[in-house]
Amino acid sequence: MSDLAPPDRMMRIISDWGVVRAAMIRRKPDAFAREEWGYLLSFLDPAALLQPWRDHFASQPQPPRPREPVAVWTPNNVSLLGPLVLVLLSLPGGRVRVKSPLAADDLTGAFLDFARAHAPAGPLAEWLANGVEAARFDRTDARNAQWAAEAEVRIVFGSDEACAAIDALPHPADSVQFSFGDHRSVAWIEDGAVTEEVVDTLIKVFAVYGQAGCTSPSVAVLLGGSRDSALALRERMIARWSHLIRSQTPWHTASAHTLADQWARANGWDAAVAPGRGAVLAVGEPGLPAFSGPAALPITWAGFDEAVRLLPENLQTIGHALRDPADPRWAELRAAARPLRWVPLAEMHHFSHVWDGQSWWAGCFLGAAAFLPPTS
Amino acid sequence: MPSLLSTPPYGPRNDAAFLAEMNRVTLHHRRGCPEFARIWPGDADATRVEDLPFLHVGLFKQLDLRTRAEGIRHTRVLTSSATSTGTSSRVALDEESNRLQSESARALLSAALPVRDCPLLILDHSRSLLQRGQLGARTAAALSLRPLASELHFLLDSPDDPASVKWAAVEAAAAAANGRLLVYGFTWILWRAWQSIPPAAARALANCTIGFVHSGGWKKLEALRVDRATFDARLLAHAAPGSGVTDFYGLVEQPGMIYPMDADGLRPVPAWADVIVRDPVTLEPLADRPGQLQLLNPLSLGSPCHSVLTEDLGRLVPGPGVKRFELIGRIPKAEVRGCANV
Repeated sequence: MSDLAPPDRMMRIISDWGVVRAAMIRRKPDAFAREEWGYLLSFLDPAALLQPWRDHFASQPQPPRPREPVAVWTPNNVSLLGPLVLVLLSLPGGRVRVKSPLAADDLTGAFLDFARAHAPAGPLAEWLANGVEAARFDRTDARNAQWAAEAEVRIVFGSDEACAAIDALPHPADSVQFSFGDHRSVAWIEDGAVTEEVVDTLIKVFAVYGQAGCTSPSVAVLLGGSRDSALALRERMIARWSHLIRSQTPWHTASAHTLADQWARANGWDAAVAPGRGAVLAVGEPGLPAFSGPAALPITWAGFDEAVRLLPENLQTIGHALRDPADPRWAELRAAARPLRWVPLAEMHHFSHVWDGQSWWAGCFLGAAAFLPPTS
Repeated sequence: MPSLLSTPPYGPRNDAAFLAEMNRVTLHHRRGCPEFARIWPGDADATRVEDLPFLHVGLFKQLDLRTRAEGIRHTRVLTSSATSTGTSSRVALDEESNRLQSESARALLSAALPVRDCPLLILDHSRSLLQRGQLGARTAAALSLRPLASELHFLLDSPDDPASVKWAAVEAAAAAANGRLLVYGFTWILWRAWQSIPPAAARALANCTIGFVHSGGWKKLEALRVDRATFDARLLAHAAPGSGVTDFYGLVEQPGMIYPMDADGLRPVPAWADVIVRDPVTLEPLADRPGQLQLLNPLSLGSPCHSVLTEDLGRLVPGPGVKRFELIGRIPKAEVRGCANV
């Protein structure tokens, strides 16, 4: 049996995103950091946009029906999640409502404005104009309850409390909610796998969001390592930092890093400040008292069992750097660790139609097939 | 230290003596506070004030930093007001430092205020004094005025409600004050409390030369678009000629040190203190550009808060005479980017 092809409309929307993408190469709105705009560009790759359909519905006997409206609550800080979810929800093409926070810069609104201005006449422009409602309000606004009461699908990014609060609002009995609450991620690096590429990747993955990203490494653990190898990793990161990170550190962040550096030292860590005061990299044995800062990274070492024991309860992602990922012992370790995502270090921030183990995109379609896990 | 404190607060500086005292106190904290020693290992004296170790003010929210040594007896803990983070700073007070800090506060306030040896009206509730082992920053600031006061009156029925002023008590204190009063309050509380004064209290106040003293940020008043001139005018509307309004800057992490604003809107630095302005990124000292304020004084022995890098912006203002700086405000916060809910 041949694969079920995506609906024509979906194919045209993917093509229309290509036109928007071409415009994105020429201009970046000020609201976006360079890395964020670059990530959006890669996210709009046509092959990548086809992947959700291939993963979930290519082997189904008939096309599913999109559920609508879909209501999305984005986090209360500046986040790329709104634009990314919007792109993926354009593919089913049902009505969408997206809530952005009041206080922070609104990347969803900025991206929507850009897309509306550059989408060619056709289904994408039509959907952007008439199928998307974007609004900024806080938790006390009456629209929270209204949107929850009317949505077939609720997608909530926020704290555990926020997810629970939205779920507690009256909603249709046959609606579903996908909650993405408080999670933390870690980087596991095999002691013998610390190449220059791994060092650079760790810097890039960590620097983009620091400790504010649920997908960011909250700690880097050298599997099978030692204090000496952790110190060596830190020194290599310090040496490479200014080659990779060119942005200036805002004063408040620099001050917070001075605090984090001293806090870490007071607690027994061997701390150092990255060039430009852009981060604090602190080496210490497992079990030392914690410290925190916007881009303060603890670097520690552990055997396999201890590495699993050290994992946070709300673990989301393990980003790994291993000499041979196919080695069976990593499968055992992964099974013991039970992360929601097990990805190479470079892919820690890669957002997807399956997130935190939930097939949220497929859940925006009606039918038993909608909840099947990806076939790939 | 006693020799420095005995000099006129805004007289000629003895920088060599100040540096020597700061080196002595730094060594004391290195030996008695393990956390300080881990942050700043080594025993070498600094050859310049700029090279003296410092602690970031935020550490006092995260750690219980105490210096233990012979003769140091910790008596209670000074706590800061509620902050945007919801976490208070905690500074351990000891007997000897308390004595030095009180002496410092008295000397600085005497130099700054138009009246003394008169009733002190405090916009707070007396309950604030009763917390065992702990003292809030607001109460501590008010009590730093105690050496200048003949008696104390706590004016609020409810500690954080400016509308709960006991105006009958104000009227009575003003009437019995022999024409002079000191009034202390947090900036925004004073503004709100003085918004509506009953006629009898207003008449009594108008017969007094009043030294208004306020501290705390202007954030709430900025939101209301109230500038300094408007603020002062409201307070002085019901006060006799010769009254004055003194805005003083201080930190709970630098007890005993007060930086009143002068007629030029600047803050003179006392002879037993120093102020450095640093680039927040490089930490290089800045001669006259805006940067992050670091405050230093050798008065604190029980807690390593003798050299504190604040989160306030300021600028040294070069010129003859007393060293002075301009307080600009808090370091602006950058927006957090990322998926985590912060």
